[in-house]
Amino acid sequence: MPAKCDIAFSLNGVKRELTVPAGMSALEMLRDRLGLTGTKYGCGEGECGACTILVDGSTVNSCLMFAADCDGRELVTIEGVAVSAAGERLRDAFVANGAVQCGFCTPGLMVQASHLIERHPGADEATIRRGIEGNLCRCTGYRKIIDAVAAAAKEKSHE
Amino acid sequence: MADIERYKTPTSLAEATEILRAGNVTVLAGGTDLLPQTQAGRVHFQPTLMNVRRVPELQGIAEEGAVVRIGALVTITELLESALVRGRLGILWQACDHFASDQIRNAATVGGNLCNASPAGDTLVPLLALDARVVLAAKPDGAVQTRRVPLAEFLLGPGRTCRAPTELLAAVEVPLPPAGFAGEFYKHGTRPGLDIAAISIAAGARRDGAVLRDVRIAFGAVAPTVIRAPRTEAVLEGRAPDAATLAAAVHAALGEIQPISDVRASDWYRRELIGNILKRVLTHACQM
Amino acid sequence: MSETLIGKRIPKMDAPDKASGKTRYIQDLEVPGALHAKILRSTQVHARIVSIDTRAAKALPGVHAVITAADVPWQRPIGVGKDHLPLKTDRVRSLRDEVAAVAADSEAIAQAALKLIRVEYAPLPVIATTQQALAPDAPLIHPEPHGADSSAHLKVAGSPVAFTGKPDNVAMTFDYAQGDIAQGEAEADVVIEDVFRLHYVTHCCMGVSGVIAEFDPNGNLLLYSNTQVPFLHKREFAELLGIDPARIRIIQPPIGGGFGSKLDIYPFEPIAIFLAKITRRPVKLVFTREEEFLASPTRQPVLLKLRSGCRKDGTLTFRAVETVHDNGAYTSWGATTPFVMMQTISSLYRVPHCKYHTMAVYTNNPYAGSFRGYGNLQATFAVEAHMDKLAEAVGMDGLAFRLKNAQDPGEITPQGMHFKSCGFKQCLTTAAGRSDFLRKQAENRARWSDPAPVKRGIGVASMLHVGGGAKIYPSDGCGTILKLDDFAHVTLMTGASEIGQGSETVLAQLVCEELGLPLSAVTVVNNDTDITPWDVGVHASRTTFIAGNSAIGAARKAKKKILDAAAAKSGKRAEELGLSGGFVTSASGERLFELGKFLRSLHFSDKADLVMTTFYYEPPSRHQDKQFKGDVSAAYAWATQVCEIEVDTQTGIVRLLKVTGAHDVGRVLNRLGIEGQIEGGIVMGQGYAITEELRVENGVVRNPNFRDYKLVTAPEIPEMDVSFIETMDGEGPQGAKGVGEAPAICIAAAVANAIHNATGVRITALPFTPENVYRALHGASEPPVWNAA
Repeated sequence: MPAKCDIAFSLNGVKRELTVPAGMSALEMLRDRLGLTGTKYGCGEGECGACTILVDGSTVNSCLMFAADCDGRELVTIEGVAVSAAGERLRDAFVANGAVQCGFCTPGLMVQASHLIERHPGADEATIRRGIEGNLCRCTGYRKIIDAVAAAAKEKSHE
Repeated sequence: MADIERYKTPTSLAEATEILRAGNVTVLAGGTDLLPQTQAGRVHFQPTLMNVRRVPELQGIAEEGAVVRIGALVTITELLESALVRGRLGILWQACDHFASDQIRNAATVGGNLCNASPAGDTLVPLLALDARVVLAAKPDGAVQTRRVPLAEFLLGPGRTCRAPTELLAAVEVPLPPAGFAGEFYKHGTRPGLDIAAISIAAGARRDGAVLRDVRIAFGAVAPTVIRAPRTEAVLEGRAPDAATLAAAVHAALGEIQPISDVRASDWYRRELIGNILKRVLTHACQM
Repeated sequence: MSETLIGKRIPKMDAPDKASGKTRYIQDLEVPGALHAKILRSTQVHARIVSIDTRAAKALPGVHAVITAADVPWQRPIGVGKDHLPLKTDRVRSLRDEVAAVAADSEAIAQAALKLIRVEYAPLPVIATTQQALAPDAPLIHPEPHGADSSAHLKVAGSPVAFTGKPDNVAMTFDYAQGDIAQGEAEADVVIEDVFRLHYVTHCCMGVSGVIAEFDPNGNLLLYSNTQVPFLHKREFAELLGIDPARIRIIQPPIGGGFGSKLDIYPFEPIAIFLAKITRRPVKLVFTREEEFLASPTRQPVLLKLRSGCRKDGTLTFRAVETVHDNGAYTSWGATTPFVMMQTISSLYRVPHCKYHTMAVYTNNPYAGSFRGYGNLQATFAVEAHMDKLAEAVGMDGLAFRLKNAQDPGEITPQGMHFKSCGFKQCLTTAAGRSDFLRKQAENRARWSDPAPVKRGIGVASMLHVGGGAKIYPSDGCGTILKLDDFAHVTLMTGASEIGQGSETVLAQLVCEELGLPLSAVTVVNNDTDITPWDVGVHASRTTFIAGNSAIGAARKAKKKILDAAAAKSGKRAEELGLSGGFVTSASGERLFELGKFLRSLHFSDKADLVMTTFYYEPPSRHQDKQFKGDVSAAYAWATQVCEIEVDTQTGIVRLLKVTGAHDVGRVLNRLGIEGQIEGGIVMGQGYAITEELRVENGVVRNPNFRDYKLVTAPEIPEMDVSFIETMDGEGPQGAKGVGEAPAICIAAAVANAIHNATGVRITALPFTPENVYRALHGASEPPVWNAA
């Protein structure tokens, strides 16, 4: 019998309890079991960043994380980031700076950028570029994403 | 994909090694390679999946005498944020800075990187140059026992190590290099981090007047494992890094590598790079 | 007057939802009761299918259907060339070929079932190159008809029931000529010839391909699809199924990237439909990333021989081109890119004598589709290399040489293109001036013999592309329905699809400009063939131009209706009235009626009729004739891009430092949107030039993943300085021309010229990946040779 794991964790600030197969990824759990489709499947190999989520305050590729490993941890997805004050500020910066085109990579970038700004308020261009190197975007050429993150980072540093 | 029949989350080294003793265990740490490797069918799960994240003995970076002990669960991000690593193990720090992406650095562990034993493994090259040794723990007869294995002996081939299935890689120990030791890590690719190295070099030495001492050189992606280059080191040891010496070093290095052609580079190009970049890295290192 | 919206930085209307993770792409849609489908693909590059055993797969719990070609004898050939069946019958011709498919309760079960299908193959010789394909004794890839077992009762007029097979491996040929090439050669003082080799790249849309198919009890098909051409595909699916196209409805969820990849029908779509038909359940089929690399289209790899000549004074006299396209195993849009290539060859610069011959050749490789720029990247790469070489040969600087031969407004080229608006020369002088091109070029050149391993280079290239629709089909139309509710809220229903490029926003903006309303007053409906008017699809940089004109037409109708009614009510003449800031205003700007209130009064009268319809069908353009002559677009876009690079001669690494671009876009409508298009295009061009290559060896894709297929990442992007040349096209919506493809086109050509400027070495094969460049710089490469039969 394939192993099932009972796990309990915090998801966007709400306690969740779930039974998941041991081999399931956190990405599958979020999308297929919990209906949180803001986190995207882009490659399944940790190369594109579309599935980026926050786990205990750090970003990870949820396609590389076992759902079972979420036990006892604090997860925040784009759905959680989007409704935080910092997330709203970042969203407004993405919108105003034209950082969104097809939008498929955007949730992952939003989560990664929120983490980057948290760690580096007022981050400079080079730090931002390195900070989002794990997020692929095929539409924008990144320029406007970098501008958006810089604008939000600057606001954060003025807080 | 074989089914996982048991999922274990030990909370001590004793418990973890006990589970290993029972056999047929896949060890999960950061998971950044395990999940895609198993989904692609390159790695098959053992019946027991053991998540070692909660084993406290595998955590932490500590200076213990003349040795830096890095717990197997230390992430690449933790290495990057460690003043000790940055200050005393500069080439390891540089390799961490060139390691994948932030998301992966936040999850990937040094123990996982070592056990993957990739010939291109980013942390392996500087760790080898720094004479690191791995600490393997097992519980053969009721008590946890450890053994220390030099990294060069630990790595056997692509994806292969001398870790027994009942052993857990608990830590890596890095002797502090002599004062004045400086070096450079070079990873060949077009991106800062998110590249598998086509070749990589970790080189370091100590300046003693005009000459180099304690020369350490390791290469990645030019042999079945990352390798030290003892003959190259010998050429440089005690010499001034002038053009003739550098040329001799390159000549020696090309005799020590056995690169292959794959989707990332041809063997010919890898040889060219080793020659050109070794010179460049040594020149930089000598200017420090 | 309220302030104009034209030229402003207007954020995309769909951006807040997308940035919040609320947008539901096809991957995110859950249709109740849907089954999940997976496709079994060939493990052989070229082989006969001896037998397929699906019994074990069918027996797996949770499996609803396992189908092979035998289960759908009525299937018909699909694609641009109508030369392949969705499920292959007796032969596989590439590694991606669809052999069987499963519908199951979950993806995992479907995946498990695939592993239980046993296929026995008898390998056939693999044709891995066009040279092999054209060899006299080459095995044929399509020797036999396929799809012939379809029944006669399914026959739909004009639809081939079967593909008759091909007596050789040539899929398509194109020949074009103008003037007299012999005369052009005789008049030339300098003649040069080079062979260029262009590689495989692929779209890499971040959202992988997917489709959901569902039949209702009456047999009507509802398709959730990422297609860029919903209306044309309705007909194709109808032919495939032998049903009336009126019974097909296509809904396009937001699309995770297009770039031309979704212009053809690919086998996965019919397969999902077959499974839905057979299981009588909704069926969802979504690719993995690996599948996306293996089984979605590529840009067409090309071997190109270019011979060019000019007089001593720098006047071009002729250009002769031969190309061979690796078509792959089947014919999609990739085979037809010569339409665009020959425009660049014949008309980017004035060339009196021109000849163009090309073949698209079947191989056992992945097959090529349409991809942003559509052949123009390849043609521009060759042409712009020769512009540099010829300039050097006659002792002119590259800028003066180009200016001498550049097109002017009003020109009608021998191929028949009429450049009514043309800012080419301003593009050249602006980009060269802003980048200090000539000075830097001379400085870099003077450093060729410097010992420093890292060299700098600067290079220029320009492009011409359709910017006012493209007469690919008999018509190039787009319809608009516009309704005004009683609160002055506007619903704009347009046939134009949004694929991330921002058409939704720019169309709303054009309507608001006419009606004096804020963007928040508009809802755009653009994704449901049962609701939206007809359109020929998102391609050829046509949407802003065609759909924009259509939307303006509807808005102007509405405006006239409102102002006529306001005139009647106010006793003023309609011509004196305007719409501004949400009011009907007088000539002096006096606010006469609040628009919402006024519309309410109209709705409660018996004269409202506040639904407008328009079609913008026929811009002044012509379908090309059989000689490929004709003015295919109502307007043409121009651009010059200057690339500055650094090349490390000890590693071969080329870094793109800066791109200075000047684009004739007619007029900037949404500055934020157009900058995004251009920056994105530049970086896509950078990928084509420097980082990306789909490595196909003996028919096998070696790098079907983002680890080894390298998209440009954020740290690698260049500094970008983009200028807009506003030529105010007379036919364009508010003067604008299309720009979607333009920015990707010149980069590889400009980088090639920059590498030459840095090192003195001209590389005629892409991509400029480190090893390729290193080999070229150290005489260890194999330059392309013309080895077509």
